[in-house]
Amino acid sequence: MKIGNLLISLEVIYTLAVIFTVLIICSTIFGIYYSKVKTPFSKELVIRTKSWWYIAAGVALLVAGPFLPATILLSYVSFVALREMFSIGFFRESDRVGLFVAYFSVPIQFYLAYNNQYVQFLYFIPTFMFVGIPFILVNSGQVQKIGRSMSLIPSTLILTVYMLSHIVLLYHVKFPGFEIGGGSLVLYLIILCSFNDVFQFTWGKLLGKHKIMPNVSPNKTWEGLIGGVICTIILAYFLRFLTPLNGFESLITGFVLALCGYIGGALMSAIKRDLGIKDSGNLIPGHGGAMDRLDSIIISAPAFYHLLSYFIENR
Amino acid sequence: MNNFFARVIYLILIRPWLRFFIGVQFQNRSALKKKQQYIIIGNHNSHFDSLSIIAALPNHKFQSTRTVAAWEYFGKNVLSRRLMSFFFHAILIKREPLEGEPFAIDVMDLELKKGKSLIIFPEGTRGTKGEIQDFKAGVAILLKRNPDIPFVPVYLDGFGKVLPKSAYLIIPLVCKVRFGEPQYARQEKVEDILDFVQEQVSQLKSPDARNNNHFGID
Repeated sequence: MKIGNLLISLEVIYTLAVIFTVLIICSTIFGIYYSKVKTPFSKELVIRTKSWWYIAAGVALLVAGPFLPATILLSYVSFVALREMFSIGFFRESDRVGLFVAYFSVPIQFYLAYNNQYVQFLYFIPTFMFVGIPFILVNSGQVQKIGRSMSLIPSTLILTVYMLSHIVLLYHVKFPGFEIGGGSLVLYLIILCSFNDVFQFTWGKLLGKHKIMPNVSPNKTWEGLIGGVICTIILAYFLRFLTPLNGFESLITGFVLALCGYIGGALMSAIKRDLGIKDSGNLIPGHGGAMDRLDSIIISAPAFYHLLSYFIENR
Repeated sequence: MNNFFARVIYLILIRPWLRFFIGVQFQNRSALKKKQQYIIIGNHNSHFDSLSIIAALPNHKFQSTRTVAAWEYFGKNVLSRRLMSFFFHAILIKREPLEGEPFAIDVMDLELKKGKSLIIFPEGTRGTKGEIQDFKAGVAILLKRNPDIPFVPVYLDGFGKVLPKSAYLIIPLVCKVRFGEPQYARQEKVEDILDFVQEQVSQLKSPDARNNNHFGID
């Protein structure tokens, strides 16, 4: 379908329409519920749904908008995540220059992804930044506890910039017989990740008894994980019209994405537990910080991209 | 007219830059709308402190709010004085006035009598370690002389990392401007007022008790 200068596939439009319909229904129900019963719980529901509207609007721009604004939006999200990680982490006064330089890797990395310079995209942060930032830190002259900052700043870059920029690469996926476009792949990834979080949370609340890692996160249970994985696999199978995958491949993708979402959540909970905070920020009302929302997609994005390339190349 | 231009610059450039690039979050801004005239009292770690407070002001309060700043630091040349009065409506006070010049407190008192609101950092200078230093007594004397003017406590959380004293690089990091409710200081003694004001500001510290105005390790 052609809207203005934009070519949007019907599949994407239908999926977005379903998402927005669900949001409208949720907003109406929770709004009525809140006007009847004014409790902290009902208020929380309203606030959360309002935040979901902003997230859904961002996703709509990502998948249906032109490529350049989508890339700029993604790089801004990555910048916000990086800023949040730098804000909650413990650094030294002499790391200021290192932190400042680290921010410049965001535009560079996303520029490389935008131009599909795949090789440079792959090595820029793992080599240049892993050498450059420690060298800048060394130049400040302070060596006490430098090892901590040396490893922390580049690893944060990997987590928030490198991993997230794989989403931009999805726009470049070309495959004969697959005309829907990269936006639909991004939509597939985001829907699976978000619903995987919801499924694992819901199953954990409903049936959760056996904790997997009680020291890291008391919310993660075997029941939640297994229920979430099964539901995500089913969803991945039925949404495969957004991708060039066949039935079997979509089942594997669903399984991998569900596990990656779980890994991301566990990593982020451990980091937060170590720093002694509950949420990574309060950027999104009702949801916590940006990293609380992005934790699953950060690990899933590279996994999804490489899985997809593997399936396409081995046809 | 200058006021109008300054406010437009705040609205289209400075406030979006602070919010979306630096990561400043304004909390409980509605506290500023509740009273006609007030003295905003906050902790001081960075040049960004007064900039963010003024960016958070409601539009109609911008013209009547003045920042108190040190003549010794900001009055050095004409350009600095011009910029300070354009962006901050600064009252440049001398820490040690020459003979025949009015005392700092009298200058501020006069502005309050004119109906202006003030932004005061009673620590006197930017703290180095991000801790709140003891407040100077001037603000308490001012409140004692004007018992009908409320004060608005504000805690600036995180600006000491964005641009601390003796630093030039500005680093984007999440920081918060947390306003408290307007209050009247009706105590008898100046010392009691000072304690009360300082306690109101410290109460607004972040609930997890982390000192966000200073990097953790050094």
